[in-house]
Amino acid sequence: MKNARIWFKKDLECRYISHLDLNRCMLRALHKSKLPVWHTEGFNPHPFATFPLPLSLGFRGINECMDVKLEADNYSFEEIISKLNACLPKGIQVFDVTEPSMKAGKIAFAKFSIKLSCDKINSSTIAEKLSEFLSLEKIEFEKKSKKGIKTVDINQGIKTFQIEEKFDFVTLNVVLSAGSSDNVNPNLIVSAFENYLQLPVYADITRIDLYNSDMELFR
Amino acid sequence: MVSKEVEKLLLKVQKPGRYVGGELNEVIKDKNSVDVRFAFCFPDTYEVGMSHLGMKILYSQFNNEDYIWCERVFAPWIDMEKEMIENNIPLYALESGDPVSEFDFIGFTLQYELSYTNMLNMLKLSGVPIKSCDRHDLKQIVVAGGPCACNPEPIAEFVDLFFIGEGEEVDLEVIDLFRKCRKEGKSKTEFLQLCSQIEGVYVPSFYEVSYNEDDTIKSFTPKNNAPSVVHKRLIKDMNSSFYPDNFVVPLIEIVHDRAVQEIFRGCIRGCRFCQAGFIYRPVREKSPETINAQCKALCENTGYDEVSLSSLSSSDYSQIVLLLEKLNEWSKDEKVSISLPSLRVDGFTDEIMDKIKTVRKSGLTFAPEAGSQRMRDVINKNVLEKELLATCETAFNGGWTTVKLYFMIGLPTETMEDVEAIVKLGQAVVDTYYKCPNRTKGRSVKVTVSASSFVPKPFTPFQWEPQDTIEQLHEKQSHIKECITTKKIQFNYHDADTSFLEAVFARGDRKLCKVMELACERGFHFDGWNDCFSLEKWLELFDECGIDPAFYANRRRSFDEILPWDHIDYGVNKSYLINECKRAYENTTTPHCRLKCNNCGAAKYGEGVCFEKRKNMV
Repeated sequence: MKNARIWFKKDLECRYISHLDLNRCMLRALHKSKLPVWHTEGFNPHPFATFPLPLSLGFRGINECMDVKLEADNYSFEEIISKLNACLPKGIQVFDVTEPSMKAGKIAFAKFSIKLSCDKINSSTIAEKLSEFLSLEKIEFEKKSKKGIKTVDINQGIKTFQIEEKFDFVTLNVVLSAGSSDNVNPNLIVSAFENYLQLPVYADITRIDLYNSDMELFR
Repeated sequence: MVSKEVEKLLLKVQKPGRYVGGELNEVIKDKNSVDVRFAFCFPDTYEVGMSHLGMKILYSQFNNEDYIWCERVFAPWIDMEKEMIENNIPLYALESGDPVSEFDFIGFTLQYELSYTNMLNMLKLSGVPIKSCDRHDLKQIVVAGGPCACNPEPIAEFVDLFFIGEGEEVDLEVIDLFRKCRKEGKSKTEFLQLCSQIEGVYVPSFYEVSYNEDDTIKSFTPKNNAPSVVHKRLIKDMNSSFYPDNFVVPLIEIVHDRAVQEIFRGCIRGCRFCQAGFIYRPVREKSPETINAQCKALCENTGYDEVSLSSLSSSDYSQIVLLLEKLNEWSKDEKVSISLPSLRVDGFTDEIMDKIKTVRKSGLTFAPEAGSQRMRDVINKNVLEKELLATCETAFNGGWTTVKLYFMIGLPTETMEDVEAIVKLGQAVVDTYYKCPNRTKGRSVKVTVSASSFVPKPFTPFQWEPQDTIEQLHEKQSHIKECITTKKIQFNYHDADTSFLEAVFARGDRKLCKVMELACERGFHFDGWNDCFSLEKWLELFDECGIDPAFYANRRRSFDEILPWDHIDYGVNKSYLINECKRAYENTTTPHCRLKCNNCGAAKYGEGVCFEKRKNMV
């Protein structure tokens, strides 16, 4: 049995599906591809696949990954890529297969690129306001969860950021805490920024990469 | 394809995956290199519409033709609808993202009466005039088909032409005719006139209706050379008829998320309440070889690990055991499970059970439809209590612990005693469980008793029957609740209000068009969903239009009344239906098609079950 980490992008129409739907879609593709993937042995046998860090609905991801176990060695990684892509919608395409070198639990940071635009104000105003907003000492935001409302300081979770002003939008490149504890969803920053501006903002969010606690690329 | 404008709305609504397309196996063509663009509209949500087999068949078949590009359109859920209206975004097709108003054909499949308002609402959201007479040019041709097209009258003013019967052949004939007419510069009326000469096409604007003083129909007069009776179309050979080897595989979970394989059309039984049992006559089967090959191709092309064998009554497939054997030859290795819905109580044998259990165990559902034997004889269900109990015993001994039983209340001649018998039958099933020596030890049994309200439908022996009033139905529902004394029986029932509205539209006439028009104006939609349906609002509309809905739902019609759908022919003679209705009053059953031909009229098509024996004799 060989562990394989399958790298793919989630984009186009497929950015609008939830993690659960992505999971279903991948299982179906694995089934259709007839690759020798290890199946669960319960009442409903299905290909066994895990996702190191799920991606929220609406986000694009250019370096997403999924772990499977291969039962046979006689498949080249190139073959796996082409077989899977033939079974996937165009919004989800595999581009690499590696042997995992880090465990999923090592993920500590994620880098996002957030394109922000607003009908009411131009991009230079957005950029100005955004740098004002991100230099606040505390960025408090009320997070609604099943247990009720709690106030969190998002600033704690922002490791680095950089703002780029473009013609009709602003790109915020930001590294945020990620993983099973202290995960900061970039949507929180967008919502907090909307509160700060008192204006609705449209955000197009892409996850670029994942890192471990030493900021080494997750592979 | 999603436009920039739509993209901005998607993150504000629930399940945006409904509105984007982009699925595996969707068909993308160059719009400039096709002659005809067809918007196939399903008047309900994406999850419901994508589960519908008819749409999958026609989508593939249309797109198989180089000159047609068929795209899918679904009704946006209320949150998306609101966003679209606020942002001036018209309804669009999923494949190209182009507005529906740009299409040559706007086709609807009508699966249930309560989706009529969605159909009109979808036209409204597209910015297309809802009334046929307000669409003048040879474009935006609104067509409709499906079981509800058997009584097209309540929506006659909105639809340019209806497809009567099965669509695989007639739809393409009409689309091809359209292409020719447009090349020749013909008008919409000229096109419709030529269409009306095609068998299976009904152009409602070519008929004039007059009424008697008591509001019943006096006469139906065709004009523009239209035929006085429109005959349904039917596929004669199921083995050679088109079936897709490929489904669009949804990105989000839908209602029936699996491959579906049709095994035959029609039903031999002739249960007297069942419209499908009459309008799809005669029974025509696919061969086990065809089914096996089609199943395999579907699973390979979609990646689904479950195939459902679809028909009105799977266990009536004449070679069911042979078929399951063939499927089992490969399905286990491919980790594909076969599910067999619509099993009859008397068709669930050990042999079938073993074969469908091999990979995955799903729930068991049976439909005795009525509690007492007398009632089951009235509806011609031809199922005995001991058969049901024996079947449950087989299932319980085979490891099942839950069974769902479907019933109807409000059937013709029903008494409170018949209603009580539903609970008694449920109790008998519970008792059977504890008598089974091989039942799953340590588990309790769960019997779900589900009661829907009877809705009299056109082209059935009960088409003249009054529906129980809402009060009567409520009384019967609460009586069932009172009679249940064990927690092992769970009782579900269908809302009587929606069944009432369904009954009004099912047997309505053209006068209902103005109610529908007003409903559309007032923004009615999703009547099949509790979130939106309000009987109160509907009653206000009927009142405003001066129409008494009880006239359609609760009135007993006489055998000699001209019914709104009498100018449409589904192959079963009216005299046969009258005779069946009379037999129902006498508690007399009628044997099914394989036991004895009862001369319903469907033999005129020269195919199917009517000739099975004759073929065997040659």
